[in-house]
Amino acid sequence: MAIPKISFSATINGQKIGPVDLPEDLMAVELLQEYLNLTGTRLTCGQGVCRACTIIVDGEEGSRTVPACITGIAWLNGRSIRTIEGIAGKDTDGRPVPSPVQQAFLKHFSFQCSYCTPGFVNAATVLVESLAKAPIPVAEVEGRILTALDANLCRCTGYVRYYQAVREVILSTPGLTVDGPAQTANATVKA
Amino acid sequence: MIRVLRVLCLLVVLGAVAAGLLMWKGWGAGPIPPASVDLASLDGPARADLIARGEQVARAGDCAACHTDPDGGSDLAGGMPMVTPMGTIYGTNISPSETHGIGGWSADDLYTAIAWGVAPGGRNLYPAMPYVSYHAITRADSDALYAWLMAQPPVEKPNTPNRLIPPFNLRFGVSLWNAVFRPDAAPFQPATDETPEAARGRYLVDVLGHCGECHTPRNLAYAMTGQPLAGNVIEGALAPNLTPDALVQRGWTAGDLERFLASGLAPQGVMTFRMFPVLSHSTSHMPPEDIKAITSHLLAGRSAPGPVPRPVAGTPDAAGHQLYLGLCAGCHGPNGTGQPHSSVPLNTNTTAMFDDPINLVRIIREGVEARDLAQGERMQAMPGFADRLDDTQMAQLVSYLRQRWGGHADPVAADRIAEIIRRVDGVEAAH
Repeated sequence: MAIPKISFSATINGQKIGPVDLPEDLMAVELLQEYLNLTGTRLTCGQGVCRACTIIVDGEEGSRTVPACITGIAWLNGRSIRTIEGIAGKDTDGRPVPSPVQQAFLKHFSFQCSYCTPGFVNAATVLVESLAKAPIPVAEVEGRILTALDANLCRCTGYVRYYQAVREVILSTPGLTVDGPAQTANATVKA
Repeated sequence: MIRVLRVLCLLVVLGAVAAGLLMWKGWGAGPIPPASVDLASLDGPARADLIARGEQVARAGDCAACHTDPDGGSDLAGGMPMVTPMGTIYGTNISPSETHGIGGWSADDLYTAIAWGVAPGGRNLYPAMPYVSYHAITRADSDALYAWLMAQPPVEKPNTPNRLIPPFNLRFGVSLWNAVFRPDAAPFQPATDETPEAARGRYLVDVLGHCGECHTPRNLAYAMTGQPLAGNVIEGALAPNLTPDALVQRGWTAGDLERFLASGLAPQGVMTFRMFPVLSHSTSHMPPEDIKAITSHLLAGRSAPGPVPRPVAGTPDAAGHQLYLGLCAGCHGPNGTGQPHSSVPLNTNTTAMFDDPINLVRIIREGVEARDLAQGERMQAMPGFADRLDDTQMAQLVSYLRQRWGGHADPVAADRIAEIIRRVDGVEAAH
């Protein structure tokens, strides 16, 4: 019996994909790794528990994370997706420039084996994007990081470094907090 | 006009007399059987035996289900909220604290509270305390329970005041209710034609286990009706129909039901909502012969051929199929086979089979936290999808699951989903 297919199209890291016929029960991680050669999304538990495979889905209400190992392409059909390969920007010569989250992870050496890092970068990116839309008081930042990254597992115990990196990005980026140093500095500059 | 007034006066007087008679009938406790054992003269080993038996009674009676401290620390310190249409009632401290618990009670007091619903001083308990079920507890079980309770550490934790809607906050009103709905305390007796196992099963299900308190439909006065275990929506979840026909229709075998009670998991489902604490406090601690007795009583000698998937009913919702593949199939499999010890199979799961889709909607919206069940069984966390499915999509997915595996061809409409969510949110708000 032929495997049932669906006509799939999506925007992945800004690039239009499809329409292309794909097996209807294909999981996102297989699409990325096997069909698109985007191997930065890591398959680990295959059960949506460890979040190493976290990818970003952009919608009208903003960005959100989903685990690529248990999210089928049927749900991603027609949506806009970002993977770890789409997080860095580019300079004028087209060379990749790490995003502020990536830069902070490098500075704080927020990984050891790095297997879970793409998931952490994506989850932190979504956190930063959500704060840009709805800034919070500095006093709530630590709790918010814990909530946002709680589901992401790291077996090299790099949590402290991930945490420090994300906190630094949030506190040093104007507009992510309502009363943070970056916010105050920014106000001073404007004045 | 005067005539009308006279008739009205007469009716008022008659009503007052009737209420008075009912109050008198339902007031306080009736006679109690003599103590089964002289607690004062028990020596060490005999007392230890009694305490061990009492623990089994506490497990089978699942005292902890309502009397546990939701903040942890003690199974007996109270504080667990129970949401009823009359308001929220909190389980009380039944540790042997003199100040806050039952430290000052005698064994007679305990029996009277359990079997008659009356605490020392003649204070009516609310029928959230299942004395209607417990009315047939044996004095020996009550006394063993007393010995065990008094051997537990006292917890000095004050009780949480109930938040009942007037007039239900008036305890004397319970006397009226008792007059109509409370059976007299009468220790359980096996029927003459009943095997010991059958009698034990009936006692465990109807009396100690008080299964009917959730699974039996209730009337307008919130009393259990004469359709025992026929299923009931309580605290925003369906406690399903446990009558033999219904169990067999949903594919329950005796072996699967035993596994379910002992380990929390069977191909037909996993202990969820209020049944998860029942598993962890009660059924997972019960001896195998008690589990067998419960199962054979519930199935009444019948048994399904096995957990066979139901044939597809009608045409499964096409949009629901895509949602299933996109959101569910990653763990439960495109054909609903699940993954051992992490995600339940859906093709034999009974949740989609219930007429009322409330449990299905809740599980999909809220998810289920990762759980250590019992006997090494466990389930990974299921995420909630409330933020990814609007009412229409939820209706499509729920309809699909019911059509594909539940045997229900009729689709569930989006406004039905909205109504279920309102009902569930109401219960949540009352906690």
